[in-house]
Amino acid sequence: MIRLTDVRKVYHTRSGDNVVLDGVGFELAMGERLGVLGRNGAGKSTMVRLISGAERPTSGRVERGMSVSWPLAFGGAFQPTLSGIDNIRFISRIYAQDFQRNLAFVADFSELGAYLHEPVRSYSSGMRARLAFAISMIIEFDCFLIDEIGAVGDARFHDRCNHELFGKRGDRAMVLISHDPGYLRDHCNRFALLHGGRLALFDDFDEAYDRFREAIGLVAAPAIDRAAAVDRTALIEVAQHRALADDRFRLLVREGDWRRDARDWAAAEERYAAALALQPYQRSYWVQHAHVAKEGGHFARAEASYRTACALGEPAADVVEHLRFVVAQGGAEPAAWPIHPYRKGAAATQVPGRPDVDALAWLLWPGATVADTEMVALLRRHGSCDALAAAMIADPRFADAADAVPDAADTDAETIRVLAFAHLPPADGATVVATLPSDAPLWPAAAAAGAFRDWPATQRALA
Amino acid sequence: MPFLPPIARPPLRDSLRVQGRVLVALLLREMLTRYGRHNIGFLWLFVEPMLFTLGVAALWTAAKAYHGSDLPIVAFALTGYSSVLLWRNMPGRCIGALWSNLSLLYHRNIRVLDIYVARVALEFGGASMSFAGLSVLFIVLGMIEPPKNILEVVGGWLLIAWFGAALAITLGALSHESELVDKLWHPASYLIFPLSGSAFLVDALPAAAQKYVLYIPMVHGTEIVREGYFGSRVHAHYDLGYVLPFCLVLTFVALFTTQWVARRVVPE
Repeated sequence: MIRLTDVRKVYHTRSGDNVVLDGVGFELAMGERLGVLGRNGAGKSTMVRLISGAERPTSGRVERGMSVSWPLAFGGAFQPTLSGIDNIRFISRIYAQDFQRNLAFVADFSELGAYLHEPVRSYSSGMRARLAFAISMIIEFDCFLIDEIGAVGDARFHDRCNHELFGKRGDRAMVLISHDPGYLRDHCNRFALLHGGRLALFDDFDEAYDRFREAIGLVAAPAIDRAAAVDRTALIEVAQHRALADDRFRLLVREGDWRRDARDWAAAEERYAAALALQPYQRSYWVQHAHVAKEGGHFARAEASYRTACALGEPAADVVEHLRFVVAQGGAEPAAWPIHPYRKGAAATQVPGRPDVDALAWLLWPGATVADTEMVALLRRHGSCDALAAAMIADPRFADAADAVPDAADTDAETIRVLAFAHLPPADGATVVATLPSDAPLWPAAAAAGAFRDWPATQRALA
Repeated sequence: MPFLPPIARPPLRDSLRVQGRVLVALLLREMLTRYGRHNIGFLWLFVEPMLFTLGVAALWTAAKAYHGSDLPIVAFALTGYSSVLLWRNMPGRCIGALWSNLSLLYHRNIRVLDIYVARVALEFGGASMSFAGLSVLFIVLGMIEPPKNILEVVGGWLLIAWFGAALAITLGALSHESELVDKLWHPASYLIFPLSGSAFLVDALPAAAQKYVLYIPMVHGTEIVREGYFGSRVHAHYDLGYVLPFCLVLTFVALFTTQWVARRVVPE
């Protein structure tokens, strides 16, 4: 039995006290596996460290009536300057275990071979993870604390970890933390949500997950460092990191993954689309979006999304087969519409994707919607954002909509900035976009701020 | 809230066994990380302080250093500089020790104090082996006489070690909270060295200076070691009534600061 009673943890920082846990209490018995949900920085890892005894609570009590592991799969619990073998020897001594038996097990499980004689600091992160997990398994604890086991390693390694943990040691108590709520759903029989320093307990995953969604929905979008993305190329690069740091994005794509695994293509596509609306330049989920659209029979949307992924830098070789398939399904000749290869450089010369078409349409064709087939046609035909903008200006909808009022909420300000106002310093460009009129025609205001100044084809179309 | 019976804690005997296991494991690990398995490996533990002491003995002999007695200079350097190594190296090894071992705290049985105790024990072992080894060497070579009273030498030696250990643990714990400790210890240890009784006999000082020098705790230990070594050839000055309470209080300070740091420490 493990019991936490009214546990509080406060960290003293330069900017004042940070209350991480504020009155957390629960009991955990043998055979219970508690999955802890919570957004980034909610204090999940802190709670695990308190349970493990590595850290002490500011107030409250942590009682352990059974042996408790250190946080599992955590690579730092050994000395990087020592060899794998010396680390095994050390752990064996601390926990009074038979070294030879442990060495045999670790060598077998980690498959590190001769590397066990090398210092741990020379290992790759995958090798460290294998060693850390194997060492964690040599001590038979009553309760295992598992903090993010899925972060590194391949599928086979994860399968073997799951077998060791939930197969051979399914009768033990466990506390699990994972970025993947699905992992907790599959392996836990009790659930908890850590939010605002409080822990709420649930017997049912769906109930816990609903509360988790509410909690994430209430959280503001992460503060974005505007200076990090000076132009479209930089924005594409930081989009990969921003997406990982965005709890709402991760939540939506996880849900998309579950729907995809359940072969519910329409629901999966909807979740991926909602996630990509938050992070429009996150290329790998454009591929996922395309896959589920393809499976759902929406070949035009699939084609547009495959092209978008390539436009944002996804290696063409990885998607070309899928793309040829959906082009053919749409009734066109695949060879006639090759992929425009990804290009770095100024926004005008880069290959456009769906977010770019949407942003340009918001600016140039206010009020008009771009249908799937037209989206595909635009992406097939235009290999640069400049050519795309020029074609959209030449379209009658540009002249027709000259005095239409746009729907302000319906676009991504950063995309507009890196396209139309790439010639301005980022801060100035952001100000221009933010001050575009919402109750008057916006093209005259955008033109006055020099929109598309260095885009030759667009300028010719405007003249 | 319903009444919850407290969860039983393991008996003291088991806890002591765990404690012993952890200290042995930490000691062996410390030796490995410090000396590795290359060339003479952990022999460096006492070869290094030996080289120090030999060098100083050679220098002082060459310079015919004045020390205020008719003792052979080699014997004087051996007793004096070995004592310095004993109290000076322990704090040096404990300062910053926690930062480099933070990940160990994930093993619940390893406590902050264990990390310091292991390092102190290792330094004590190294300095003692060096002192004993060189003594035997010089005695065999006929350069110095065997100690007159070995037990007194051991007593003085342990007294210096006690002071050094308490100081080391205090400074080690404080250094985790403030970098100033590390910065200030280096100049401080150099400045205290000439005052620590290793390079002079208290008896050779003017009476006015003796009074102040005897406020410095390691002077007492060094004097006892010399009295044990040279017997009536020196007139030792020390006051157990001062130095024992001093070490006792410093020990409490060490345990208290360690406890304070342990409550605040965040494993990486």
